Amino acid sequence: MIEVKAISKSFGEVKAVKEVTFTAPNNQVTALLGANGAGKTTSLRMIYSLITPDAGQVLIDGIDPKEQPEAARKLLGVLPDTRGLYLRLTARENIEYFGQLHGMNDDDIKSRTESLVKDLRMEDFIDRKTDGFSQGQRVKVAIARALVHDPQNIILDEPTNGLDVMSTRGVRAFLNKEKQRGKCILFSSHVMQEVSAVSDEILVVSDGKVRASGTELELHQQTGQKNLEDAFVHIVTNGEGHE
Amino acid sequence: MNKQILTVTKKEIKDNVRDKKSLMSSIFMGAVFMPILFAVMINFIFNMQKDKAESQLEIAISGSENAQSFMNFVKTKDVKIKPFSGDPKRAIENKDEEAVVVIPDNFSENFSKGTPAKIEVYYDATAKGATNVTQGRIKSLINEYSQTIGMTRLQLRGISPILLRAVVVEDHDVSTAQSKGAQILMMLPYALILGLFMGSMYLAIDTMAGEKERNSLESLLLNPIKRSHLLTGKLLATISFGLMTMVITLITFKLVMPFMPLEKMGVTIDLGLKNLSILALVLAPLAFLAASLQTIVATFSKSFKEAQTYVGILIIVPMIPSMALMLMPVKEKLWMMAIPVLSQNLIINQIMRGEQVATISIIVTILGSLFIGVLLALAAIKLYNRESLLFSD
Repeated sequence: MIEVKAISKSFGEVKAVKEVTFTAPNNQVTALLGANGAGKTTSLRMIYSLITPDAGQVLIDGIDPKEQPEAARKLLGVLPDTRGLYLRLTARENIEYFGQLHGMNDDDIKSRTESLVKDLRMEDFIDRKTDGFSQGQRVKVAIARALVHDPQNIILDEPTNGLDVMSTRGVRAFLNKEKQRGKCILFSSHVMQEVSAVSDEILVVSDGKVRASGTELELHQQTGQKNLEDAFVHIVTNGEGHE
Repeated sequence: MNKQILTVTKKEIKDNVRDKKSLMSSIFMGAVFMPILFAVMINFIFNMQKDKAESQLEIAISGSENAQSFMNFVKTKDVKIKPFSGDPKRAIENKDEEAVVVIPDNFSENFSKGTPAKIEVYYDATAKGATNVTQGRIKSLINEYSQTIGMTRLQLRGISPILLRAVVVEDHDVSTAQSKGAQILMMLPYALILGLFMGSMYLAIDTMAGEKERNSLESLLLNPIKRSHLLTGKLLATISFGLMTMVITLITFKLVMPFMPLEKMGVTIDLGLKNLSILALVLAPLAFLAASLQTIVATFSKSFKEAQTYVGILIIVPMIPSMALMLMPVKEKLWMMAIPVLSQNLIINQIMRGEQVATISIIVTILGSLFIGVLLALAAIKLYNRESLLFSD
């Protein structure tokens, strides 16, 4: 479970995130929906403690990353916005490296890698050097690498960005499976269908703030709109409608 | 040692050993190519000078008809005469001739009167290499002729030529054979230290700026490992490449040593086990220092290219003391051994001159370089802890 309490962050004069508060419970997919530059990535970076909030607090399964950064990171699996691989290493070696950094032993790494290879359908390229991988292959390796330690909490920043239909469906199916296993999944996206397809709860983020939250249906009802896109526009423009 | 640190070190070494380009630039260029180039250069310079000194002297002479007796003298000296006409200055400038001798029209007139007769020698004193040998030989030939004639003239007048020699200079060159030849080998310290800098350069760039360029840094930082441990692991990999290059450089030098005409140059460099160990001992802490310095510079760079430029400039650092010592040799003092790079230069020079390196010098060198190295490593860790590491625009 991820608890976010009034976190804020400024870069110089720019207030990127303003008192964002929400809870992402276990057994659920929570989505941060927002346009580019709305503050999604900065919020996520504070949650996975890559950057420190100016104010507010984050709790990962009750642990404050500020006080115990390593302990908090063990409970998190993160697919960040930048997800480059080591091109001279094979996909398997990329995954193994992160497993070792998590302090896992070789047997655990091996069995976990096997199950990730199966779930993400990576059999064809797992032992190839990652140089020249397609976008879809790269994201799969990056997800496997981030989740090699089978964390309870999964954070993904725009996970299906730039992926084709098949890869997107593959990632979605994987996330659903992880949810069935009781995981807490938090992801960000600017794509309506994406959010609509996988999330249980949606947080609409705009201008560094959470403007609205609820299931898709609740958002329809709150705004009096019939689909998510119209609801989204209604929320971020304060009901003034289109542009 | 922390297991995570070793994990990082092992990964970086594995990753970079697979990169042919990195191996080429560090190991091959620094450790193998440099010593061989060095040996080839020394052979070339030595042979060029030897050839000129021993080969038959060839003189371009204009106006030889003006000085019959001089020409007869020259012929007895096994010198090849090459008639010359035209502008001697231009011939030198165009590098057509190394030196031109011009005998003016009034030579025989002055010669018969007993007043100093002039012979002009044209050459370029700033020209490198063999030209100086040639013009020196021409001048000594003319001097010899002048003295022969002068002495004959005095004897004809019944005066002992000895009277002319009021003072005689007697040369006492106390430099040993070793220190003479060492002048040519002045570049050796630079070659050794450069190899070491080149060895770690590529890894410093790849582990720091490369991580940013590949966009893998953020994911890496999200692992439950302290940043100081992460950087230590990377630094160890970088240092190990520097050390490896240093050792290979020393071995290559040892191997190419027999192919340098050192004995003929009057030099014997003792690269026995003892001296090799001393060299390795004093150079090792420098690998630590070089890696830290390069890592710091690479931390500031966003891309591989940018880092390559800045870290490349760092190679000038070991050049400064080497060049300074070549131009103004100093007597080594103990405090100098505390200054990294300078101390290694001094000790390498001592070994080349065949001097004993004092144990205290070695200890001060190691401690001095290690101290600065640790300071730099701490600075690198501090920089790596910055939040802005990811967004250094």
